[in-house]
Amino acid sequence: MTSELSIYRLRLANFWRGYSRNRGAAFSFFFLIALISIAIFADYLFPRNFEAPDISREMLPPSLSNPLGTDYLGRDQVALIAFGARTSLIIAFAAGGLLAVIGTLAGLLAGYHGGRMEGLIMRFADIFLTIPTLPLILVIVSLTGPSLLNVMFAIGLTSWPVMARVVRSDTLALMKREFIEIEKVMGASARRIVFRHLLPNQLNSIFVYTSLSIPVVILTEAALEFLGLAPLSVSWGFMLNTSLSYWILGTWWMSFIPGFAIFITALAFYFVSEGLKEALNPKLKRRRESLVVQLADRKK
Amino acid sequence: MGLLAYIGRRALIAAALVVVVGTLNFAIMHLAPGGPETVFLNPRITPAAKALILKSFGLDKPIQEQYLLYLQGMVTGNWGLSYFYTQPAFDVIASRIPATLLLMVPSLILTVVIGILMGIVSVRRPYGLLDRFLSSFAFFFYSMPVFWLGFVLLTVFALFFRVLPPGGMVSITATRFDVLDYLEHLILPVTALTLINVANFSLLVRSSLLEVLDQNYILTARGKGLPERLVFYRHALRNGLLPTVTMLGLFVGSILTGAILTETVFSWPGLGSLTYDSITRRDYPVVLALFFIFSILTIVSNLITDIVYGILDPRITFD
Repeated sequence: MTSELSIYRLRLANFWRGYSRNRGAAFSFFFLIALISIAIFADYLFPRNFEAPDISREMLPPSLSNPLGTDYLGRDQVALIAFGARTSLIIAFAAGGLLAVIGTLAGLLAGYHGGRMEGLIMRFADIFLTIPTLPLILVIVSLTGPSLLNVMFAIGLTSWPVMARVVRSDTLALMKREFIEIEKVMGASARRIVFRHLLPNQLNSIFVYTSLSIPVVILTEAALEFLGLAPLSVSWGFMLNTSLSYWILGTWWMSFIPGFAIFITALAFYFVSEGLKEALNPKLKRRRESLVVQLADRKK
Repeated sequence: MGLLAYIGRRALIAAALVVVVGTLNFAIMHLAPGGPETVFLNPRITPAAKALILKSFGLDKPIQEQYLLYLQGMVTGNWGLSYFYTQPAFDVIASRIPATLLLMVPSLILTVVIGILMGIVSVRRPYGLLDRFLSSFAFFFYSMPVFWLGFVLLTVFALFFRVLPPGGMVSITATRFDVLDYLEHLILPVTALTLINVANFSLLVRSSLLEVLDQNYILTARGKGLPERLVFYRHALRNGLLPTVTMLGLFVGSILTGAILTETVFSWPGLGSLTYDSITRRDYPVVLALFFIFSILTIVSNLITDIVYGILDPRITFD
């Protein structure tokens, strides 16, 4: 028991060493932990009536009492950003998870079965790649009505094809390997091959691609809100949408801050995915080392 | 199999894809509530008048007949009447195409040129100082919402410094065609679009070049003593840029997404803002036609890139 535990601890330490080599990734990790905590505990950090308008304080620039200023209804932007983080993160993780599950299953099915099944699934993926995504999501959300769940499903259901392509090609490569052949000869069931071998062997790349698609999900959700088609009560994109009507008055903080929040969050997720890629892909690490060797050689 | 047969087969698949996508679009739109009645919002409308409206848009016919008419119309260009403009959807869309091209063509050219240059400079010293700087630059804009970048540019250059116009394609005061006026209006939206697209494209070029530089034939070229310059420009660059050709095909689809957001921020009167307006107005004939056009654009550009790729890469045997 203890030895098993220490193995995990060792693995974790090893992973972190690889991951934190990318300093941006390490910093982004802590930033996201902080952001997630703020999103979770927002109810305790801010007054309950943060959404109540206060006309006497509308459109105040950043000051000591309102570090991020107030919006067009006089609401404190710090609270709005914190609650907006909740919306953004829920959709990011939920839609990201959904697209990862659909994409992985589709890719595994296509890669394992091949033939007609593969053709069917991949053509289906092609269809989704062909219809322009944002307008499609716009139409779906405007049909089903704006809600957290609908936005999440609209994004998740339309963004899986790239994931499916990645998993399929990895699966195809694995299928040619000897250990799969042996399993097949020994009469292993399809379920065993898929879930005991094909899936675990590409979990790393699935992980990396999921984390890579999360910034895209965040930007898509923000775009939806920005276009005003899914006005969720508190969200960064919708803050930007409403603030632009006052843009000409020079109330830059009302638009700048929510947009900056979207940007920084997407960037942090992007850095995390870079760090994951470097930590989980030993080939890449080796290449980096060999390049260091090359450069050292050149200096001589 | 020869090249022609390959092209033929690919074209056939593409045509089938067009029909399937078209059908899917039709189904989605007809599941949607609303229609011309909701656009001509008048609660006191008489049943007779309503029937007349439905009839003039061909909505009194059974759904399967509407579908056949739709398919037929897609081929002939008779895309029905816009509920909002009460003009043929074809004319509405055609009138917006020049504005979008004016925005997209310069931005796409700049993206390709700058993206390739950035990729080349990056891989000359991989993980070196310049590479890390350029990669960070790319990450930076890759994560940036294009509508926010647009807002920042507008605030700085149109509101604070007042050196560039705050959106639109021409000045309201312009009485005749003025190239400089168009250029002034183009600078900010083209900058915003290009920065976002370059971020994406330069990373692709970089990773594709890096992969090629890792190949054995590059080692061979170096081993036989070719100068690094020749190794790079004659052997690596040619092959490394090949995969980016495919990416350009996929870029066409993302153009519409970029266009919707960019055109909305900069009040640019192109296809993107038309798409957005038509979806919110539930002007289905126009939305359907727009979806159809962009689906076809994506399919055709994918087809072309596949064929070009096949011609450029002699290892691909068409079977």
